[in-house]
Amino acid sequence: MKRIDTAKEAKQNPSYFEALVELLFQLADDDFIISFRGSEWLGLAPHIEEDVALSSITQNTMGHASLYYHLLEDLDIGNADKLAHERQAVERRNASYFERKNGEGSYLQEPYYDWALTVVRQFLFETMKKVKLETIINSSYQPLADIANKVLMEQPYHLAHWRMWLKQLLGSTEEAQNKVQFQLEAAWPACADIIGLGPKAFELEKHHLIAGEDYLRKQWLKELEQSLSLPSSLFVDNHPARGRYGEHTADLDQALSTLSEVYNSDQKAVW
Amino acid sequence: MTSHDGSNFYQEYEVFSKKNAKSPIQHQFSLLAPNDEMALNMAQENFMRRENVIDVWVVPRSQIRSMTSEERQLWTKRLDNKEYRTTKGYGYLRKKWREKEQGMLDEKEIMSWKEVKKL
Amino acid sequence: MYIYGGASAADHEKDTEKHTVFMKRIEAGEKIEADDWMPDEYRNALIKLISMHGISEIMGALPEKEWVPKAPSLKRKLGIMAKVQDEMGHGQLLLRVAEDLIKPYGKNRENIMQDLLNGKLKFHNVFHMPTKTWADAGIVGWLVDGAAIISQTNMLDASYGPYQRALQRICQEEVFHAQHGESIIMALAEGSNKQRDMLQEALDRWWSSLLMFFGPASATTTGSSKQEITTKYRIRKSSNEELRQAFLDKYLPRIFSLGLTVPDETIHYDEANKRWEYKQPDWNEFKKIISNNGPCSKQRLRLRDIAYENNRWVRQALAPQAVVS
Repeated sequence: MKRIDTAKEAKQNPSYFEALVELLFQLADDDFIISFRGSEWLGLAPHIEEDVALSSITQNTMGHASLYYHLLEDLDIGNADKLAHERQAVERRNASYFERKNGEGSYLQEPYYDWALTVVRQFLFETMKKVKLETIINSSYQPLADIANKVLMEQPYHLAHWRMWLKQLLGSTEEAQNKVQFQLEAAWPACADIIGLGPKAFELEKHHLIAGEDYLRKQWLKELEQSLSLPSSLFVDNHPARGRYGEHTADLDQALSTLSEVYNSDQKAVW
Repeated sequence: MTSHDGSNFYQEYEVFSKKNAKSPIQHQFSLLAPNDEMALNMAQENFMRRENVIDVWVVPRSQIRSMTSEERQLWTKRLDNKEYRTTKGYGYLRKKWREKEQGMLDEKEIMSWKEVKKL
Repeated sequence: MYIYGGASAADHEKDTEKHTVFMKRIEAGEKIEADDWMPDEYRNALIKLISMHGISEIMGALPEKEWVPKAPSLKRKLGIMAKVQDEMGHGQLLLRVAEDLIKPYGKNRENIMQDLLNGKLKFHNVFHMPTKTWADAGIVGWLVDGAAIISQTNMLDASYGPYQRALQRICQEEVFHAQHGESIIMALAEGSNKQRDMLQEALDRWWSSLLMFFGPASATTTGSSKQEITTKYRIRKSSNEELRQAFLDKYLPRIFSLGLTVPDETIHYDEANKRWEYKQPDWNEFKKIISNNGPCSKQRLRLRDIAYENNRWVRQALAPQAVVS
């Protein structure tokens, strides 16, 4: 495996460069959309102490997104804020499951948000993130490997937080168990997209940017099995909306128009 | 009491933390959580968002036997006659040693002895 | 609210004695703790003050929070999220203090939330107002927080220990809030014409709310004021008007230095009396606002109500099972 130390080197091989950019968008967009959904919860969590803890995790996660967008900026793909705020839905590479609205209503009006959805989603997200990052620390692109090591410093707390919530709700009332189970059933068809690497999966593995999909699936299963009983058809690709391929739902449009509302009111302005 | 409305969720915990390996555990504040695990998980981000922390304790308030208001008033007062117990009562030695051209073994001096000349 | 009291006549004499000792303690600068004896009037004033302060932080998160997902850059998104998170955190600290005061009455956070939702517990006038643009988020961060810093630092020596300690933590974080607010408005003030206009419009919108923030100068204005009680018990030091003047002293020169104006042609510093003369806000409007009839009162209470009730199943699921007796 050849180690690539700089953006300049990465740009010399077009196949390498394109695969790298693809991966960085997946990582950045996942963290960004998850933290956007987290930021909508602010002030609305089940209790105040959780509200504060959730916001720290959300901030950390947006901080991680920012690190990846800056890696893209270093590769001359565009300014980090522009990449976060201006790109259209079809250009986004987050798993489409992560863009789902927190529940009925909006954070401004009638926010009938679903804590069970958030617990299930965050748990799936954090376990996926752990599995991917643990192979990215050996990535051929050294600036990315360095970032992965940094992100992995904060991430265990996030995972512990959501694992705790999942475990506690599953060990509590029938109502809570049913709500969690309902959300798990809704999540299973999205799992192939979540752990997937999109159209450049082959090149990503070939260039040693991240481990291959088979390995990632195997590792993710190990993580999930510690806390959940899983359906046998977990990775049957049901194509809900393959976010890694730029296929998204209307929920992403709502997210993008909200998160870029002020930014788009004057893209040239310094805010 | 039943917990039908969920208000039993609000159990009181006192939160303590340790800043670094050399510092003592310090009381931070209190929070409400339904159980130990959740209290611990909430504690760090609620009270030490901007501080270094290397350890956190949470203690159900019901497990703390603190002084009552009366005990605080009655048990915490002392006469100011305990100089024999502190260095204040031995300050005259400084002058004695100075006469013998020796330094006083004060706190600063003794705490500096952790480094001993290597042979 | 839990305003209790009414000791029997036999208790009365004993209480007078305790009261004398109590007043001596606070006059000597001692701190009162939650389980110390305290006059009913003191406990009730604290409950009222601190539960309102705490719940105002929680309700205060809502207007600013509207702009958290919308903040115009990654850095702004992170900054305002951290800031609003702190408001929730301050609410947590203050509610814990209030909860320990109502505990002897068998009440807890559930009761505080219910009192908010049924209108018995009021929240601060500024948090009933709309935040129409990103610049409103800036003005809230800069000037509403500025006003809050003035009134909170004034209570840093409060006689009630738990409140004093909570305020100490809060005021330390407010330094970050002050600079966060300044950073938003500075970018707007030094930005495009459109951004400057946005800022001026937001300031115009918020001006009377900012004057109202400190409450009426005397009880005669609105028929009630707790400033006498809180000063008597050494909870705070200064009067409403003294605090408002301190706010004008600190912030008006900064407002003017940015080329901004306030919507009051008469405002000026009276050198002879060493005070700002300004047009009084509409105190009838103030009364209306704090009785939950402000422009956004109902909408914000509705948000809190939905968030609280819609998530009740979570608290019910995890509440330790109490023994049914």
